[in-house]
Amino acid sequence: MVGANVGKAHRDERIALVVLATCSAIFVLAIALILIYLAWSGTKLFFADHVSLFTFLFGSDWDGLAGKFGAAPFIVGSLVATGFAILVGGPLGVAIGVFFSELAPPRVAAAFKPAIEVLVGIPSVVYGWLGLTLLVPLIGRIFHSGGDGLLAAGIVLSIMILPTVISLSEDALKVVPTALREGSAALGATRWETISRVLIPSASSGLAVAVILGIARAIGETLAVQLVLGNAAVIPSSLLKPAAALTSEIVMDMGDAPDGSPFQHALFSMAFLLLLIAMALIVLIRIALRRRA
Amino acid sequence: MLEAQTASSLDEKMKVEDLNVYYGAFHAIKGANLAVPARRVMALIGPSGCGKSTFLRALNRMHDLTPGARVEGGVTLDGTDIYASDVDPVTVRHRIGMVFQRPNPFPKSIYENVVYGPKIHGENNKSRLLEIAERSLRAAALWDEAKDRLHRSALDLSGGQQQRLCIARVLAVEPEVILMDEPASALDPIATSKIEDLIGELKKQYTVVIVTHSMQQAARISDFTAFFLLGELLEVGTTSDIFTRPKDQRTEDYITGRYG
Amino acid sequence: MARAIVAATAASARLGSDRARARRIVDRIATALLWASASTVVGLLLIFVAYLFVKGAGVVTWHFLTASPSASEAGGGVGPLIFNSFYILALALFFTVPIALCAGMYLQEYAGPGRFRDLVQFSAESLATVPSIVMGLFGLLIFVQTFHWHFTALGGALTLTLLNLPAMMRVTQEALAGVPDTLREASMGLGATKWQTVLRVILPSAIGQLTTGVVLVAGRIFGETAALIFTAGASVSYGKSAYDFNPFHTAETLAVGLYQTHREALVPDADAIGNGSALVLLVMVLAFNIIARVVGRRLTIHFTGKA
Repeated sequence: MVGANVGKAHRDERIALVVLATCSAIFVLAIALILIYLAWSGTKLFFADHVSLFTFLFGSDWDGLAGKFGAAPFIVGSLVATGFAILVGGPLGVAIGVFFSELAPPRVAAAFKPAIEVLVGIPSVVYGWLGLTLLVPLIGRIFHSGGDGLLAAGIVLSIMILPTVISLSEDALKVVPTALREGSAALGATRWETISRVLIPSASSGLAVAVILGIARAIGETLAVQLVLGNAAVIPSSLLKPAAALTSEIVMDMGDAPDGSPFQHALFSMAFLLLLIAMALIVLIRIALRRRA
Repeated sequence: MLEAQTASSLDEKMKVEDLNVYYGAFHAIKGANLAVPARRVMALIGPSGCGKSTFLRALNRMHDLTPGARVEGGVTLDGTDIYASDVDPVTVRHRIGMVFQRPNPFPKSIYENVVYGPKIHGENNKSRLLEIAERSLRAAALWDEAKDRLHRSALDLSGGQQQRLCIARVLAVEPEVILMDEPASALDPIATSKIEDLIGELKKQYTVVIVTHSMQQAARISDFTAFFLLGELLEVGTTSDIFTRPKDQRTEDYITGRYG
Repeated sequence: MARAIVAATAASARLGSDRARARRIVDRIATALLWASASTVVGLLLIFVAYLFVKGAGVVTWHFLTASPSASEAGGGVGPLIFNSFYILALALFFTVPIALCAGMYLQEYAGPGRFRDLVQFSAESLATVPSIVMGLFGLLIFVQTFHWHFTALGGALTLTLLNLPAMMRVTQEALAGVPDTLREASMGLGATKWQTVLRVILPSAIGQLTTGVVLVAGRIFGETAALIFTAGASVSYGKSAYDFNPFHTAETLAVGLYQTHREALVPDADAIGNGSALVLLVMVLAFNIIARVVGRRLTIHFTGKA
């Protein structure tokens, strides 16, 4: 029997290797293509239409059809909404991650975990719908405003990034060796002291990754924010006035911008900007992870 | 019974010459030389961490699967170097089988486990496979316990039965040499003695090399014994010679329990 | 365990001073806050689900689920949209699963540490962070403009494939990593090649976890909107039989439809349709979640004999 099948087995092995490696290469090809295409379209505004980068990034005058391309309102809108989401959703997510990792008895964890999983699965358009029909009227009533704006967007985003932050925080804490917990307890620390003084610092790089990925999720979110922001292309003076974000503006106007027009180029530039921010966040994550060692 | 014969007067099934194994920069096996006699049981003993398992794995090219491991020196099977560049490791592992420390049956049925080897080597005929399965399970002293549950999951068997299943699995590919890496260390005493009886039967047909951390086990079942210390193969001889008249002081210290 | 030790230690602190008492109070407050956080979030979810059910239950009738949308009158349905959602989902999975499975197998079982492996891993991480709207614009650039397809179901499906490849690969990697190394050793020790080992031992052992992961990703694909608006389109043939199997036709999905309903609001019952669509989407998400777990567990038992 020895040698009966060896030739065929080795041939299969070689074929498999080629197919599998090719599929892996598709990933590299994909991201390269995306970067190239978006860079090419995203810079047309500056090279072909001769709009200055400074105007684009810092000008607040935006009227696509009239040739004004100051995108600062959208940049500010994205940053504020994301910032709010991280300031609220970040600590809350880490807290719940701590809860699952350190406090929750198994039965409670088993009951609560599916809830988090459902939260992950809810499509962003449904979050937007909920924000529009539940949250915006609520804010309007409490604050006597229209209800839409950066506050609504911030709250919706906070909820949307929770599952990401929770599960990554929980993973980061679970990896901390039990020996550290026991050592701290043996020195007479309360559980909260162990958590705050030993566990969270030990897991800090993992927690940083959780927060950074939360940021990535928030800044890229489109539908949910578009439905609750109010879509006014101005830098808002308060959280309660209509505003706009990079993502919401793209989805709103891409259908209206004529093909090949500077308006469309400007929207591509915003998309390219988003892509650059996303890549920058990846680099940040790698730095945070390297610091773990 | 075998005291009158020394290793050199028997056929050599495998011969190890100046074997060196490195894990990265760590020199795990230093210049080992060993002749493995055919159809006998050779035990490898020594304190833990001294390289017995590493040595064993060099005999069927398992180190090929470990990144960072490097094997130098000659290992021959019936005179042919198994590390030669034109030799296929897959074929080597047909002829030299291995049983591991913890039973590792596949999460499949008992039958599927046993015929796995023949199937990957191209045997597809159902009735022949069934024959092979029965033969191997009988040889592993598991047939009576397994014949009514061939298609049930192997994971339902007890630890000792699973280990005998792993032995049956190896026997199904009809090897010439069986390497065993502490096969009974994860088992209770009753299962262990069943395995030891099995080894006694197996050596009638196969060459067995067994790593064991129990000197008593080596004394019970092996014909020849090799003593390892810190990566060096210090002494080889018949089991009774090693245990009653060791030549090296360090061997004697180990045997008498000065260190474990 | 550690919790018991901490509790005992906290108890002995009672013997001590004011400081010890203050520390215990802090501990109690912190614990309460953590419990409150978790409960709040779970409570929020229950509110969302309840709200969607209350608002949408009256709207979701058999007619709603099967009829075509109406251009200007009340009483339209989302039948074709649901069909399109499933159709695009099937197309997307058709591309995503094989590629991600192969790439995952490569990274987990074949690739040694090295530049190619790092590059693939980095590419996957980068792909995963690309915002869905940006991916949608890329799809617009390539499929709609460069290939001149205009809005097509296939274009949408391919865009979704790019979006979900990283997640699906991670599913594969985790499932494969869950298979113990002892099984690989046993198979190789019997003289199997790596491919034989992967095909006959590793994949069957991992199939339960794989299936769970695939169905969960499918649930996310079902709800995707931003990547589809400019690739598969936001319109559906009104009135005509719109159950179209042609991958080169426009295909508005349920999720995109919800967005469009709000945006255009041409029909008088736009709000009701929105509520109905949102509820259907939510129910689908729950269904995918449940199916993922149930089927995954069944498959694991079937293929490995034990859960």
